[in-house]
Amino acid sequence: MMSLLSVQDLKVHFPIKRGVFFDRTIGHVYAVDGVSLDVERGQTYGLVGESGCGKSTLGRAVLRLVDVTSGRVEFDGRDLASLKGEPLRKERSRLQMVFQDPMSSLDPRQNVESILSEGLAAHGMIGDRKARRAHIQQTLDAVGLPRGALSRYPHEFSGGQRQRIGIARALVLKPDVIIADEPVSALDVSVQAQVINLLEELQQDLGLTYFVIAHDLAVVRHISDTIGVMYLGGIVEEASSDVLYVSPRHPYTKALMSAVPVPDPEVEDTRERVLLKGDLPSPANPPTGCRFHTRCPWRQETRCDTERPELTLVGDGHKVACHWAAEIEAGEIQPKSDAVIAAAVDAG
Amino acid sequence: MGLLAKRGVKVGGKALFEGNDLLTMPATTLRDMRGAEMAMIFQDPLSSLNPVVPIGLQVTEVLKRHRGMKGEPAQKEAADLLDRVGIPDPRRRLKEYPHQLSGGMRQRALIAMAVACRPRLLIADEPTTALDVTIQAQILELLKELVADEGTALIMITHDLGVVAGLCDEINVMYAGRVVEAAARRPLFAAPTHPYSVGLLGSIPRLDAPRGEKLRPIPGSVRDNIAWTDGCAFAPRCAHRTDGCLDGPPALVQTYTAHSYRCVNPVTSDEAEALTAAATLPTPSIVDASTETDGE
Repeated sequence: MMSLLSVQDLKVHFPIKRGVFFDRTIGHVYAVDGVSLDVERGQTYGLVGESGCGKSTLGRAVLRLVDVTSGRVEFDGRDLASLKGEPLRKERSRLQMVFQDPMSSLDPRQNVESILSEGLAAHGMIGDRKARRAHIQQTLDAVGLPRGALSRYPHEFSGGQRQRIGIARALVLKPDVIIADEPVSALDVSVQAQVINLLEELQQDLGLTYFVIAHDLAVVRHISDTIGVMYLGGIVEEASSDVLYVSPRHPYTKALMSAVPVPDPEVEDTRERVLLKGDLPSPANPPTGCRFHTRCPWRQETRCDTERPELTLVGDGHKVACHWAAEIEAGEIQPKSDAVIAAAVDAG
Repeated sequence: MGLLAKRGVKVGGKALFEGNDLLTMPATTLRDMRGAEMAMIFQDPLSSLNPVVPIGLQVTEVLKRHRGMKGEPAQKEAADLLDRVGIPDPRRRLKEYPHQLSGGMRQRALIAMAVACRPRLLIADEPTTALDVTIQAQILELLKELVADEGTALIMITHDLGVVAGLCDEINVMYAGRVVEAAARRPLFAAPTHPYSVGLLGSIPRLDAPRGEKLRPIPGSVRDNIAWTDGCAFAPRCAHRTDGCLDGPPALVQTYTAHSYRCVNPVTSDEAEALTAAATLPTPSIVDASTETDGE
């Protein structure tokens, strides 16, 4: 079966320019560097990574909000990366985006009705006034906003409600895919949970496909069917949500998992943790070979710094980009001992 | 710390530091104590470091003010401090400006400044909120070491229950300006009593919870509060509300186990169980138990 959205070897490189009179290109920022992934209809694909790993750029590139350097973005059989002008604009009504910060992604001088009808007008789905109103009302109901919201402005709403408006704006066009870039990270924990639940309910009711980009592994794990872990422009591991949690195979995923605090002292005291040294290298000057080898506690003398590992299938839908994944799994390669912090209390 | 603006702010009560009330203390005494006896780590290191002053000068400033050090000894001490908080190549970093450091480095520099005089009390206000998780793990580990090695008391102010679970011994849960529950960390997470604590725990997605489990958010937002004088401020959002909740401000109830809560209708342990119980998956071991690293 063909995936609804399929990204193939996508690259987005931003030129670094310098010079007063002539813009000389002196290098590139390799924001997204050879990413392939498939999003199935009705499923949620979660993309996690730390800031600067290129996950937002990838999301934007899918919608062609940034220019693609090379690669294909196939949506329902058509390559969005090569579309231009009117056909691209038409296609976009089926892929909508929810942005991170609802305050800066909503026009403060437009009221809710105007925000929601703008997309409808742009895509010629306007119908007569009455039908349009009814459709907008329906959308507001779906996201749990009061009917009186129509004539109000974004500043009159709380953060959670604003994000609901952002979701309504995406929904009103009846898209197939919603790309959500950090949909809840600007919200308070209690409100965050409300919005996550809303996204899940909408998916069940409307059969939406989500592509969720977030830095919070716990949030991504909660809502995704499949998770891709991104590091410095490339996907290092991809697996179903449960598999990724129970048996992470890539060293970076292991470290990331163990860095996420769990709100339970029992768990915190009994688990071992992998601590990474140093910071994310600059994507303008990425390390050779495996991008992660500069920080990897399992790093080996050969291959890691010379050869870039391919994403290879290691199990049912589980893909890892590491030369030594099998050896690490078998326990033949040990991490550097100073990178592992033993459990504070022995389990059991 | 006495850092609030003087105008228009009313501060009442007492804040005793080793028996002396910080609130009534003369400003000069307080100034001597800040940085030396007690220090603070702020949330956003970029806005709490001076952008036009090199890191080295900002660290030695503390040493100069409180320990009377200057010149080469101060430089050396500053380099040692940066080294201790895990900044590589500290000598070079001393000459650099905050914008040349990454977020994690800046936070480390800020911690170095705070611990420069081995304060007995360290207040950390959301020290890791602006950082990525792997960097957050590094910083939390560093704070843990400081507390263990130096015997520093740490007050951690954070919204992240996960951070609290791993780091803190005693926890106070605050809502709308008052402590609503106070307990040691294990009882608090095992048997939260105040409906707000229960709600918080139910609303965060957990890494170890199976997929598809519903979150139980607290309805409404902080805007829906009522004043504490009219009753419980949390009552409008509380699922466990009774008529007694609006009869006046609830008192802080002490239990015999040093677990206190401010609620007229507390959640019993059975209910909490039902509200927060998550069929947790087994915790995966990072390093397989059979292949334990040597020396452990």
